[in-house]
Amino acid sequence: MLEEFQRIGRSLFQEGIVSSHGGNLSVRVGDRILITRRGSMLGHLKEGDVVETGVESDDWGITLASSEIGVHRAIYRATSGLAIVHAHPPHAVALSLLQDEIIPVDSEASYLLHRVPVVATEHTVGSAEVEKVVPQALQEYKIVMLRGHGSFAIGQFLEEAYQWTSVLETAARIIAILRGLGGEVKEYRRGSGEYRRW
Amino acid sequence: MPGWMGRVLRVDLGSGRTAYEPLDPRLARDYLGGRGLGARIVFDRVPPTQDPLGPGNLLVFAVGPLTGTRAPASGRFSLSTRSPLTGAIHDSNAGGTFGVRLKRCGLDALVVEGRAPHPVYLYVDGSGAEVRDARRLWGLDAPAATDALCGPGGPHRGAAALSIGPAGENLVRLAAIMVEGRRALARGGVGAVMGSKNLKAVVAAGLAPVEVADREAFDFVVYEALKLVRANPVTSRALPQFGTAVLVNLLNELGAYPTRNFLQSQFPQAGLASGEAVASTVLLRRAACHGCPIACARVIRGPEGEEEGPEYESIWALGANCGVSALGDIVAANRLCNRLGLDTISAGGTVACAMELYEAGAFSDGARFGDAEGQRRLLLGAARRDGPGAELAEGSLALAASRGAAELAMQVKGLELPAYDPRGMQGQGLAFATSNRGGCHLRANMLTCEVLGLPKMVDRFARSGKAGLLIVIQHSSAAMDSLVVCKFAGFALSDEHWARMLSAATGVDYATQDLQLVGERVYNLERLYNLRQGWGRERDTLPRRLLETPVQGGPAAGRVVELQPMLDEYYRFRGWDREGRPSPAKLKALGLETDGAATAGGAAGPPGPGGAAPGPAGPGVAPAGPARKGGA
Repeated sequence: MLEEFQRIGRSLFQEGIVSSHGGNLSVRVGDRILITRRGSMLGHLKEGDVVETGVESDDWGITLASSEIGVHRAIYRATSGLAIVHAHPPHAVALSLLQDEIIPVDSEASYLLHRVPVVATEHTVGSAEVEKVVPQALQEYKIVMLRGHGSFAIGQFLEEAYQWTSVLETAARIIAILRGLGGEVKEYRRGSGEYRRW
Repeated sequence: MPGWMGRVLRVDLGSGRTAYEPLDPRLARDYLGGRGLGARIVFDRVPPTQDPLGPGNLLVFAVGPLTGTRAPASGRFSLSTRSPLTGAIHDSNAGGTFGVRLKRCGLDALVVEGRAPHPVYLYVDGSGAEVRDARRLWGLDAPAATDALCGPGGPHRGAAALSIGPAGENLVRLAAIMVEGRRALARGGVGAVMGSKNLKAVVAAGLAPVEVADREAFDFVVYEALKLVRANPVTSRALPQFGTAVLVNLLNELGAYPTRNFLQSQFPQAGLASGEAVASTVLLRRAACHGCPIACARVIRGPEGEEEGPEYESIWALGANCGVSALGDIVAANRLCNRLGLDTISAGGTVACAMELYEAGAFSDGARFGDAEGQRRLLLGAARRDGPGAELAEGSLALAASRGAAELAMQVKGLELPAYDPRGMQGQGLAFATSNRGGCHLRANMLTCEVLGLPKMVDRFARSGKAGLLIVIQHSSAAMDSLVVCKFAGFALSDEHWARMLSAATGVDYATQDLQLVGERVYNLERLYNLRQGWGRERDTLPRRLLETPVQGGPAAGRVVELQPMLDEYYRFRGWDREGRPSPAKLKALGLETDGAATAGGAAGPPGPGGAAPGPAGPGVAPAGPARKGGA
């Protein structure tokens, strides 16, 4: 399992989707959670950087767990996800500060995501508010943006949650590039106006 | 009530009385339709003490809220009953057009009970059901019977029919129900339940439109879903080009293709009857179920003209598992099974068991592995209950046990295993062992993630992590069976797509985890039924060969299924105790606390009601109303 955390963590860091000590990963194993250690470096995870604690209750593992453990637990309780990737994808974070949803225009993200909602809270880390709004959004979507903070993605595997994260950041980067280029986007998708309803 | 039709039709073959009942919206919401609705009705009305071949057993033909819509691969229906082969709560589902025509009768389910005094068939349309004389059909092969009813010269030309063949009439516990002569409600001996009721066939002729709640939203989600089906190589290339038999060479290469009653895991001649071989020799064209964009069915050139099939599981069961290699022989055996109305998997598995017993000197009337003529003799004998065939008619477990060699029956809970050697797919082993209906790949096929990498590839030899993954797939499968949609579309689509289609079709808001919850509720309800008859952990196991005898060669060499650690983990993750009984908290969360309390050996409580009399109407079905047609 550590190897899987290392593989995904390294990719997130190398792609610039998390900063040196940002983001966190977890998987659900029955009533237990394996989650990255608070302050660990996703790009350089080592033995002891993945800690175990309960989905419903605390034990000694909580002393080392990521400070986002609360929202991870809330997501597992509210959704069918078995893995969570929380990252700080810069282009997606930038867009989250300008708009209430991210509608991809590229083909890959259109197929896979359609629409990514942006939710906002006053306190963005470890707050009860985050633990309410993020899981709520993930009941309808596989990835959601918390305004100004980052993405939360769920999957059956870490790799799957990572895929949604990577696809979102690529889509956001393309939107940012298009805005820099200016001009009108030539639509190629039938029914893309409906993506807001996804 | 868009999506659902809001009605269940009950038919008592003993009295000929028919009655409509409204479908309770809560039942529709919590169980959707198909397998879920059928499980609820069987749980409530068929006690585990009921003889599956007695008049008190039910046949619940059910469709789902997406049946008859434009949702991809949604033209299926299911049948729930108590299995005469296993005794378990059981459902089978099939494609074709019957399900759509049944729903267009304005029905969510057709519930048949009792026993007719002589052979009959049931005709159903938008105004009700009629019980009609079928004495002239009795004895006909299954395709001949449906053709006599709905073919060019038949009284119901253009309608859709299902029928049993001689195997069902003779109460053979391997008997299938053939749908439109080509598809099958195959497993669990369901054909014998029809036979026990003197019910030869059912004709569905409905034409009513199926409404959806939000047409615009529904069309959009379907459009997006079809894009994925067309973009996925499994659904857009592999299955359309080669059919399900595309798996033959793949599983054989992986050393997970059971051969000669699971004595080996690779068949050197597998390529002779692969999907590629079918495509390059006898394939004429593809065929599809109602509204399916995948079109995996094969129309081939047979000795007597066009015919459909054979599918992957049939090619394996009648081929490698019996040591038969020639495609022509496999096609002939498949055709024979379709005519006789036999489940090819269970029939093939039982013949393979007979072949091993024969070679061990324990069944002198059997045949050697590879003896195609002997195989056909045994199949025919089983369907007719002729001579030694009468022993095969009871299934592999009864046959092997009668020779003091029960371990040679490759089955789980009495149902013969399908075409995957779990020693090369550990998660598949756990899936087989924990399947509520027994040895089955459709409760959860770990092929998707252990072989095909969908949605992601996992190590097929590893134990770790399989339990959690399996549970999710079991729930997804139960939800899909309740919708009722084809598992193959699931290669391209996720629960999210089904939830969105369901929401748009019904106007009821379903999120992804709501579908998981439906699946979990159905799975636990089925579990409670089996617990109610005293089936616990000891039934969640595999044949000794798969647990103790390592694979001799190939990529899976040296492997056995390491079941117990996975099973412990599985129970814990499910919220079940060490004996496999759901905890009161779990049952409460699923709204099944009352059902659990009445479950012997389950969460505690006395045995279910005994006797052969059907119980009172289930919680979702109101008292019977006046008959609209038929009766007397």
